[in-house]
Amino acid sequence: MNTKLNSFVVADPRKCIGCKACELACAVVHADSDGKTVGTVETPIMPRLFLVKTAEVTMPIQCRHCEDAPCANACPVDAISQVDNKILINTEACVGCKTCMMACPFGAMDLVPKYKDGQVVTQNGLMSETEDGLVEKEVMLAHKCDLCVDQPNGPACIRVCPEKALELIVPKQVKRKRNVEAATNFLDSVKNFFD
Amino acid sequence: MNTFVVANPNKCIGCKACEIACAVAHLGTSVATAGFIDAPFSPRISLVRAEMVTMPIQCRQCDDAPCANACPVAAIVNQDNKIVVKPELCIGCKTCIVACPFGAIDVVPRCQNGKEQMQMSLNVITKEGKENKEVMVAHKCDLCAGRLGGPACVEVCPGDAFTLVKPEVINDSIKNKRLSSALDIIGK
Amino acid sequence: MTVKTEGIIKIDKELCTGCRRCTGVCPVDAIEGEKGQPQTINVERCVLCGQCVQICSAYASAFDEDIAPREQKMEERNMLPSVKEPLFASYYTGHAPTVKKVLVNNSLFTMVQCAPAVRVAIAEEFGMPLGSLTPGKMAAALKKLGFNRVYDTNFTADLTIMEEGNELIKRVTEGGVLPMFTSCCPAWVKFIEQDYPELIPHLSSCKSPQQMAGALFKTYGAQVDGVDAAKVYSVSVMPCVCKKFECERPEMKDSGYRDVDVAITTRELAQLIKDAGIDFNGLPEEEFDKPLGTYTGAGTIFGATGGVMEAALRTAYELITKQEIPDVNLKLVRGVEGVRTADVKVGDLTLKVAVVAGLKNVIPVLEAIKAGKADFHFIEVMTCPVGCVSGGGQPKVLIPDEQANAYTNRTCNTYVHDENMEYRKSHNNPEIKKIYEKFLVEDNIHHLLHTKYTPRR
Repeated sequence: MNTKLNSFVVADPRKCIGCKACELACAVVHADSDGKTVGTVETPIMPRLFLVKTAEVTMPIQCRHCEDAPCANACPVDAISQVDNKILINTEACVGCKTCMMACPFGAMDLVPKYKDGQVVTQNGLMSETEDGLVEKEVMLAHKCDLCVDQPNGPACIRVCPEKALELIVPKQVKRKRNVEAATNFLDSVKNFFD
Repeated sequence: MNTFVVANPNKCIGCKACEIACAVAHLGTSVATAGFIDAPFSPRISLVRAEMVTMPIQCRQCDDAPCANACPVAAIVNQDNKIVVKPELCIGCKTCIVACPFGAIDVVPRCQNGKEQMQMSLNVITKEGKENKEVMVAHKCDLCAGRLGGPACVEVCPGDAFTLVKPEVINDSIKNKRLSSALDIIGK
Repeated sequence: MTVKTEGIIKIDKELCTGCRRCTGVCPVDAIEGEKGQPQTINVERCVLCGQCVQICSAYASAFDEDIAPREQKMEERNMLPSVKEPLFASYYTGHAPTVKKVLVNNSLFTMVQCAPAVRVAIAEEFGMPLGSLTPGKMAAALKKLGFNRVYDTNFTADLTIMEEGNELIKRVTEGGVLPMFTSCCPAWVKFIEQDYPELIPHLSSCKSPQQMAGALFKTYGAQVDGVDAAKVYSVSVMPCVCKKFECERPEMKDSGYRDVDVAITTRELAQLIKDAGIDFNGLPEEEFDKPLGTYTGAGTIFGATGGVMEAALRTAYELITKQEIPDVNLKLVRGVEGVRTADVKVGDLTLKVAVVAGLKNVIPVLEAIKAGKADFHFIEVMTCPVGCVSGGGQPKVLIPDEQANAYTNRTCNTYVHDENMEYRKSHNNPEIKKIYEKFLVEDNIHHLLHTKYTPRR
């Protein structure tokens, strides 16, 4: 039995300036390209975290790696599992049914086209009927924050944020820290209530 | 206003009797000795032993509970003057852990009748293979609702450190303090 | 009469999130707007350095249905339709489609020049490591694109050293206005014209290497190839956005025609190369054309902060003392600090020099001059953080951490290129000697290579 809770990245809306550097970095580190400049990018930018910008709030939203991940429980083909305390999608199994998108209460799941070597990947069988006849349909895959599992330096969004608004939450650590703060802060109240 | 339990750090001796009493009270079965427990041991109260202070921390039953407001699936509700988690709705997203300023809420395996519940579909993949994951739910002080004798921690504490703070307790306290303040001003 | 800057750098209101990271890098506080709302550029203040273009991370999502279609935006920005890279809120008006059209126009004789900073960055757009040095491939690509003459800005960088060196010596010995400032950075020139017009006399009267080259293309260059100057089309490839403004300055037509018809950036050249289906990485090394493509190491170090100063000192030393400079590598003027100063002994004279990188850093120096407290002979000023290698038109690095690597590598390879050149001092450039013998006589020199400035306040 493993009760270690899954970590996740979350932004501080008080610090976020809505610059999208996180989205850009996320998309770039997950794309299969070695290019370091804008000029080398030939595929759409497809981040796994999504800036919300309204009059009331500005912050990116991404996967919480839920312990009882609704996306995983909803998936009809078992394409989503927990591996090493991260909720990950096995894209080989995904059929693009979108149930996970419906299940996720955060809207953290997206469905995006598959790209390889700068080209969109099309399906073997399924065609689309269009005005120009039958056209190959691109493969669509479920897509969400994977905590940069394949990156040597960990989550890219955290590193590039110019305002240091993004943080990796290790839940038990956060809880413990808050406990100590709460106890320490309570000392001031004691003499004005108990005595 | 909601009722809550809070400890007086000057009386706390750090013995953790409260944690044990809490866990046992929520087991759902009756146990007499430690050897009898084979379900997960999950107190809803956490003893803090820090440089400046020793005291347990538990839910403050906030009237504007940040945990409840943060919950994406409305699994935390205000019920009978307490803030209550509905485990059947909880998805274990941990946003409430981040929201709670006291660290009073945790996410733990769900036990019913002493047994862990397993999830329908989510598997954990390890080197050894695939196994089902247990259901994890949010978990915090519930004022021992349904327990004869009320909160177990209050009952068991050898230092008598806990106070069950009902609305009238706070209201009396502030009334007294207002009176004291006025008297101080007139030099009495 | 002022040239309109409006239309060169713009902020796309549909894409701008109002994060204001751009205001953090704008040296003249030209970007205006509330936090969280789309920003606008004050065209009077903007010096077109393009640092806002480099830092902007507000990209257009291909899946966003609430914004104008990509094709429409690309047309508004005058970009080649074949370009696939993402679009950002802050951008500069493009000129690559103009160049593409010109290259298939057989009635024109096209001449191109590339700035020193281009050859240590363009390969990045093709996946090569940051700062890769590829002058030979760059020349090969330009030839494959169909330019009739592949000349080089580094030649006129050498020429600038000759002219500016002489000008400095004259001011020092004849009591002219000192300190003298370099004038090759057009954003710096626009800044002094609009904020400190009273200090304009301190600017060298030399044109920038880009503009000297343009003027020579349509005179000397036309002569050399026996073509009608009216049919010469002059293109420059720059690491800089402000060069687009500089080439349109009304006075820059001393050849009798617009000296530089169009300036494109390093990024735009890479886009043209891809559009033509050229495999840049597979190209063989080729040479630049003579006579206006021959350059020395001194010319190529113009791309780095301190490079103009070092090149000038290498020549000034030898012209004044008539002796070989003990060490051709003048490391005392290299570096990345915003303001560097040095005392350089040149025979009996001690030249007091300063190098400024980052336009904001020049302000204390200008104030000191106004207060009569600036004891310098010669000051190099570059607007961009570490000189032209960090220019607004250079390849835009995706991950902020990597930008520092890009700057370091581009700078480092600039000096590596210098070290491997046959000639490292401008006055030793054989084509420079030749052009002074054959073409640059007194009237020509002043007319083609020197300019006047425009107070803008």
